[in-house]
Amino acid sequence: MKIPVCRLADLPRGEAYRLEIDPPVSVFHTDDGEVFAIDDTCTHQDASLADGWLEGCEVECPLHASKFDLRTGSVDSPPAKLPVRTHQVVVEDGMIYVEPSQAVPNLPPCVGARLAGGLA
Amino acid sequence: MTSTSLPDSLIATLSGSYYTDPGIFAQEQERIFETMWFCVARASELDKPGAFRTVEVGRESIIVTRSRDNAIRAFFNVCRHRGAKLCTEETGEVKRAFQCPYHAWTYDLTGKLIAAPNLTKMPDVGRTEYGLAPVHVREWLGYVWVCLAEEPPSFEEEVVGAVVTRLGDVESIERYDIDSLAVGKRIVYDVKANWKLIIENFMECYHCATIHPELTEVLPEFADGYAAQYYVGHGAEFGSDVQGFTVDGSEGLDRIPGVSEDQDRRYYAITVQPQVFINLVPDHVIFHRMYPVAADRTIVECDWLYLKDVVDSGKDVSRSVELFDRVNRQDFDACERCQPAMSSRLYAKGGVLVPSEHHIGAFHDWVQGKLGS
Repeated sequence: MKIPVCRLADLPRGEAYRLEIDPPVSVFHTDDGEVFAIDDTCTHQDASLADGWLEGCEVECPLHASKFDLRTGSVDSPPAKLPVRTHQVVVEDGMIYVEPSQAVPNLPPCVGARLAGGLA
Repeated sequence: MTSTSLPDSLIATLSGSYYTDPGIFAQEQERIFETMWFCVARASELDKPGAFRTVEVGRESIIVTRSRDNAIRAFFNVCRHRGAKLCTEETGEVKRAFQCPYHAWTYDLTGKLIAAPNLTKMPDVGRTEYGLAPVHVREWLGYVWVCLAEEPPSFEEEVVGAVVTRLGDVESIERYDIDSLAVGKRIVYDVKANWKLIIENFMECYHCATIHPELTEVLPEFADGYAAQYYVGHGAEFGSDVQGFTVDGSEGLDRIPGVSEDQDRRYYAITVQPQVFINLVPDHVIFHRMYPVAADRTIVECDWLYLKDVVDSGKDVSRSVELFDRVNRQDFDACERCQPAMSSRLYAKGGVLVPSEHHIGAFHDWVQGKLGS
């Protein structure tokens, strides 16, 4: 499944786009011109990584400063401990598309409870 | 104020309670410091984006910071969520954002709310509406002034106007190029006296010959008791044997190039109500800000500003600094000497002002007008 995100021209370098699917995905255009997609939600607490700080190929969570590698999804240091998923990105005719990963996401506890139908 | 029984030479001061009553101080905070332009920092202190300073303005704590676009902004130091104080340090630097230590509401350097736990689940929470509450900011003379009023008074009329009232025109201060000068020395004084005692002291020179021997040596006309602030456009002339505005009258530093011939070898003093004093001499500028803390306590921050080359080259400014540092200490000692007597029953109706101090009466009228009393 290929989901359209936005036009590459509409996503300046250094910026992120939050794709409102469930769970949400953030798409980053790095200063070097690469485009990456990862789960938008920090694995520690419900925060949008699209609102975080992009440096090179890493994004720092805006709340508690764990950094995620856009290429692998791995996290550098607590409080987040689990990686985010990475998603395939395709750019065709100037349009960015994401192919969501089929792996199980590492969502933070309250979001996981909500998705499972329980109380957050 | 009634002064029916006073001889013509004397007019009354404010009554003692104006200097001691916490209720009056609270009114001054609300109606003076929180409504007027208030000088909070030297712009160069905020030397990079994220550098910040917190300042008490009236009853409020204010964050002053520099944003990525290099503009200086100021905000109430209050998290919009549950009211925690965001910054507890007086000065510091954040990398990218101000984050509340309580629930991690996170604001960028323009004050916008950029992140909070579960914020994406609350799309109806406006990121500007729930951003840090801004206060008005102006930069002038290299200093940052804020105003907490929703509709601030005209900066040109109140602040620039105060300088023009004293000097006659704005060009007279622009010649000192104050925004490009560098801070050669800063001294912070913790004065156990009401802020008005400090203003009144600065406005008159009746005390000069008694408590300021060094200053009166350099500026002999101060011995007649009329301050530079008594006249418009008048600078007190250096004594004929004085080389510079220094503690011993020895040579000063490099003269500020824009200073005109008729400003050379002269001292000008300006009060910008409610809390700034500026002194101009040919080779430096002395810039005081008062931060009233309580009815009986005021922090005074004083900068000695010189040409950037003078500061960068490490020239010895100590004799120049020492002159006004001594003057400050002499003045603040005098204010601290008065403060305890403000609650004496003998001062319940206040004291008196002699003719060379009568212009202080206008300051008292101004304070009472602001307080609506």
